[in-house]
Amino acid sequence: MTASFRDVELLSAYLDGQLDSNESARLESRLKTDESLRAVLDDLREARGILRQLPQRRAPRNFTLTPQMAGIKPPAPRAYPVFRLATAVATLLFVITFVVNGLSPVAAPRLAAAPAPAFGMGGGGVGGGAPNESAPAATQAPAIEAPTAEAFAQSQTATETPPAANDNSRATILSTQTSELAPKAAAPAPLNAAPVQVQPEAPARNQAPVSFIWQIALGIVALIFGLIAWFLRLNTERKFRRQWNNK
Amino acid sequence: MDEPALIHSAQRGDLDSFNTLVLHYQDALFNTALRILGDDELAADATQEAFLSAFKNLTSYRGGSFKAWLLRTVTNACYDELRRQKRRPTTPLEPDTSDGDEMDSPRWLADQNLSPEQKAEADELEHAIQHCLENLPLEFRTVVVMADIQGLDYTEVASTVRVPLGTIKSRLARARLRLRECLQDFWELLPAAFRLEKERI
Repeated sequence: MTASFRDVELLSAYLDGQLDSNESARLESRLKTDESLRAVLDDLREARGILRQLPQRRAPRNFTLTPQMAGIKPPAPRAYPVFRLATAVATLLFVITFVVNGLSPVAAPRLAAAPAPAFGMGGGGVGGGAPNESAPAATQAPAIEAPTAEAFAQSQTATETPPAANDNSRATILSTQTSELAPKAAAPAPLNAAPVQVQPEAPARNQAPVSFIWQIALGIVALIFGLIAWFLRLNTERKFRRQWNNK
Repeated sequence: MDEPALIHSAQRGDLDSFNTLVLHYQDALFNTALRILGDDELAADATQEAFLSAFKNLTSYRGGSFKAWLLRTVTNACYDELRRQKRRPTTPLEPDTSDGDEMDSPRWLADQNLSPEQKAEADELEHAIQHCLENLPLEFRTVVVMADIQGLDYTEVASTVRVPLGTIKSRLARARLRLRECLQDFWELLPAAFRLEKERI
């Protein structure tokens, strides 16, 4: 009688002591009478014995993990978070100064005022339209034509009529322009009473809310704190690595 | 070695404790990987990968046999390696002839129709067993390595390979039978020192 696969499973489990006492007793009684079962049991036992005799190889090297492999970072020095926070705050303030200066209403007049010297130099004497054509859009209308006689008249009108003066930026532009025109057009100068009054206000308003010196100072502070934080971290990592290598 | 204490410390991130466990189990993991993969270098890589994975996932260990838990990580690493090999088949180990035929078959790739001379080359028990193990389907090989080479009990093997106990019994029986048939080809060639001693039940 040949052994079925179920018998092979039972014999294998029997070898490993995995059968309960009833199953073991039944199998043992069959083994006494069934030679093919005994042969299978011998085969299984031999295979298992050979595997158990297989020599265990030693690991070719140690598989211990280093902190780097395990992704372990050295503990940060106590002062590190303070400098890191200081760096972050200084950097943030540094950026904010640029944003504040950029968004300041002073920016627009400053831009508009920039081409004004060109009018004064090129347009004042010639009285032609050529430089005016290349002028930025921001200086349109009366402002663009300021150097011409017409424009000058308009500027006079603007300074004389209160509704036109309500527009702050325009008034500023006009005041700047008329003040520059004054030396070149000597006659109308005394008439510009209103722009002259506005003139002292102009330098104060042209200054940025945050001075350049403050910006530089904040930048330097951010850089110094950042370097200190980096140095502290680097130093701790070096010590940690040295300590680990000495173990 | 106070294993539970070391495991507990390692779970809290103590690398020294984990490395003590590594030194204790590295031979078992390496041998398991070696028997499954059949290549020293690949086995070393899989072992290293397994220990790294074990450290990262140590919190998922919830008691039971730590050896069985580690063997599961190395088995997974071996399966990953075998999957990688399947995706990127390697070139033959033996150079081809000008006709494109393989010049000679290495002994560990020997099939059932080995000539007596070739069989004589496989004169070491280890090579013969490794050859027979590699002829087994992967799932049979894993079970027989865990049970008969690493000495895990059925329950531990079941938890390691995550299959029911009945499947473990069935796979182990089939694997042993196939191994016995395969080893029959090498039986007469085995050195006397390695001849099987009949075991008593």
